[in-house]
Amino acid sequence: MFSITVNDEGIVVLTGRFDASQTDSAREVLSGLRDSAVVDFRDLDYISSAGLGVLLATQQRLKKEGKAIKLIHMNRMVRDVFKIARFDLIFEIE
Amino acid sequence: MMRREFAREMASLDAVFEFLHRFAAKERLDPQAAYALDLAVEEFFTNIVKYGKGSAGGVLVEADRTGGTVTVRLEEETPVPFDVTRQTATQFDTPFAERKPGGLGIHIAREMLDGLTYDYVDGTSRITLTKHLEP
Repeated sequence: MFSITVNDEGIVVLTGRFDASQTDSAREVLSGLRDSAVVDFRDLDYISSAGLGVLLATQQRLKKEGKAIKLIHMNRMVRDVFKIARFDLIFEIE
Repeated sequence: MMRREFAREMASLDAVFEFLHRFAAKERLDPQAAYALDLAVEEFFTNIVKYGKGSAGGVLVEADRTGGTVTVRLEEETPVPFDVTRQTATQFDTPFAERKPGGLGIHIAREMLDGLTYDYVDGTSRITLTKHLEP
C-alpha cells in the first residue's frame, strides 16, 4: 500500500511502502511540482532504490531552476537508506 | 524453511513481500533485518524481471533461519548465466546534476546485508543473501 498526495498546505505526503511497483504514481505527482516543496515521510514505512531514483530525478529537475525539495520526518530505517546512498548530501533532511 | 515460486513479472512484487513478511513474523525478525531483506530481495527480483535473459520460468524464493543467521535464496532456470548482483558504478563521484540511480540498489543491499553471492550450476542461477540477526 502506497499513496502520495499533496495536502492543503502544499506538503507532499508519502504513506506506506514506496517500492518499485509505485514509481509511476509517485512520478505523476512529483512531476507536477513547479516550486520548492516539502515532502513529509512521517507515514512512510519503506523506500527502496526505485523510490530514491524518482526523488533524485525530481531534485535534479527542480535544482536546474534554483528550487528544491526538502524531506522531513523520516523514520530511522528510511534515514539509514538515504545515508547509505549518500542522498543525505543531495537533499536537505529535517 | 519457507519456499514459493513467483511469476517473473513486476506484478509479483506484492506477493513476494507478503511471503517475506510471513517469514519475518514466523521467525520474529527485528525490523532492521526485515527491512534489509525486503530491500535486497526487491532489488534482485526486479533485476531478474528486467534483465533476465532467455528465461521464461518463475523465480523460486526460499527463506530460512539457522540460529542467528537468515538466508534467502532466489533461483531461476536460465540458459545464460547473468549475475544481477554484480556491482555497477554507483556514481558517487559524478556531479549531482548528472547522477543516475544505476547501481544504487545493489550498493544499498550490499551495505545492509552480511553476505551476497551468485552462482550458476547446471542451468540454475542462484542468488544467496545472508543477514546476521542482532543477539
